[in-house]
Amino acid sequence: MIVFEDVSLVYPNGVHALSNISLNVARGEFLFLVGSTGQGKSSVLKCIYREACPTSGDVVVDDWRLSTLPHGKVPFLRRKVGVVFQDFKLLRGKTVWENVAYALQVTGATSRDVARRVPRALELVGIAHKSKMFPHELSGGEQQRTAIARSLVNNPLIMLCDEPTGNLDPETSSEIMALLARINSKGTTVVVATHNQASVDRMRRRVVRLVHGRIAHDEERGRYHVGLG
Amino acid sequence: MDWGRTQFFWAEVAQNFTRNAAMALTAIGTVAISIVVLGVFLFARSSFNLLLNNVVNKVDIAVYLKDEATPADIDTMMRQLRADPRVDNVRFVSKQEALETLRKRLAGQVNLGLINVNPLPNSFVVHTIDPGDVPPLAGELQAKPQVAFVNYGSKVTEKLLVIRRVLGTIGLGVIVLLLVATALIIYNTIRLTVFARQREITIMQLVGATNWTIRWPFVFEGLLTGLAGGLIGLLVLWPAYQTLAPKLTLNLPFLPLNLADVSVGHIALELVLVGAVVGMLASWLSVSRYLRPA
Ligand SMILES: Nc1ncnc2c1ncn2[C@@H]1O[C@H](COP(=O)(O)OP(=O)(O)O)[C@@H](O)[C@H]1O
Ligand SMILES: [Mg+2]
Repeated sequence: MIVFEDVSLVYPNGVHALSNISLNVARGEFLFLVGSTGQGKSSVLKCIYREACPTSGDVVVDDWRLSTLPHGKVPFLRRKVGVVFQDFKLLRGKTVWENVAYALQVTGATSRDVARRVPRALELVGIAHKSKMFPHELSGGEQQRTAIARSLVNNPLIMLCDEPTGNLDPETSSEIMALLARINSKGTTVVVATHNQASVDRMRRRVVRLVHGRIAHDEERGRYHVGLG
Repeated sequence: MDWGRTQFFWAEVAQNFTRNAAMALTAIGTVAISIVVLGVFLFARSSFNLLLNNVVNKVDIAVYLKDEATPADIDTMMRQLRADPRVDNVRFVSKQEALETLRKRLAGQVNLGLINVNPLPNSFVVHTIDPGDVPPLAGELQAKPQVAFVNYGSKVTEKLLVIRRVLGTIGLGVIVLLLVATALIIYNTIRLTVFARQREITIMQLVGATNWTIRWPFVFEGLLTGLAGGLIGLLVLWPAYQTLAPKLTLNLPFLPLNLADVSVGHIALELVLVGAVVGMLASWLSVSRYLRPA
């Protein structure tokens, strides 16, 4: 589903964010991307939805080779890949309902489709009761849920979550992680960048650890720290 | 286009207006003000052109014929002049007519009864369509053997023609500059409204909107802003014209100017078009700048 072929990424300012990353994520897999801040987790995700282009190497997403993907196709790649951004990136001028609907409307969905699928997504993440509110009227966890609802409303093949529990209390964090596991159980490939040790250790999924932009460790049913159990 | 998408499009346009009302109103106001300034200049230029044309158009060519010219010669010349595409109209003034006119004009001052031969020549009075044709046509007529001499107040006319040309060019230059300035002001205003939503545009791209899906509502918004600004500008200009134009004509009765002849409707149409087209292009260019290549 997602293949990294010897990917290196150097940002225009000269920072080597990723070095020789090779990674293969199977359809329906749930993968934790761990590592302390600045190790390249977000950069890996950006390469998947084409916000960043590898300096060398290539990324393949659902048979689409991204280095040769024409600009005009990028929006369609992004409809296959739902992203929950670290800073949520909700549209300020739109309500919860409209934010979620937008991701669907830009795909050319009919208004019937929108009316059917938006409430379903909002209920799934448990934010339906706040659907008329604007992002600035929501708590962090509620914004997070809205962002998740938006990322899954058009049934993406892949969901990428960048530190989805970053600023949340432990209780809300485990709820969000449980939600992601539920989405994964329906067949969506899920990649979660996180440094939430508790969740990683509890869930025992595949863990890929990044250190200085390289893969330091890759383990099925792994834990946050290597060699602790 | 199916109904859901059309609805989505209009909802986007409407939201951009209502949820950024202060910004949208500022933009419309700015467009309106620049349209008013442009309108005043366009009107002033039209009036001034009209004034100059009225003055210059008064110029006629008087063609005095030699006494040897036979009625047949006169007839031929008359026909030639009438057939000339530059000529608006030709009037033949016979010796007798000329004398009558002179008598009337001098009535009570000089006793013309003393004169028993008529010293005045037969003549044509020629009016051209374009005053600019007066000097060359006069030259051609002077060259004809039946013509004694030609008079069109050459010094004054030529000066008037030069003045008209120079002022016409300056006026055009000023209007072009002003148009450019207006376009830049509108462009900048609209660019700011787009700039304020730079983050939104990036997010729209990230959730899979194509560039056209993002661009169209903005372009339409720009068009509506320009149109609204233009119409509001007209709403200010129109009553001003209605009240000021008659006063201007009354206070300057010595000027051969009828402001009713200025094509106000034409100017109004131009102004609204300028607003709408510039508004649309401005949005287009601005959005395109913030649509980062993915
Ligand atoms: N847009 C960018 N331009 C330049 N450098 C960047 C950019 N984004 C991230 N970096 C740098 O790349 C490295 C990896 O960053 P990132 O992938 O965001 O790490 P993480 O998500 O693990 O915290 C960091 O050193 C960061 O400073
Ligand atoms: Mg990060």
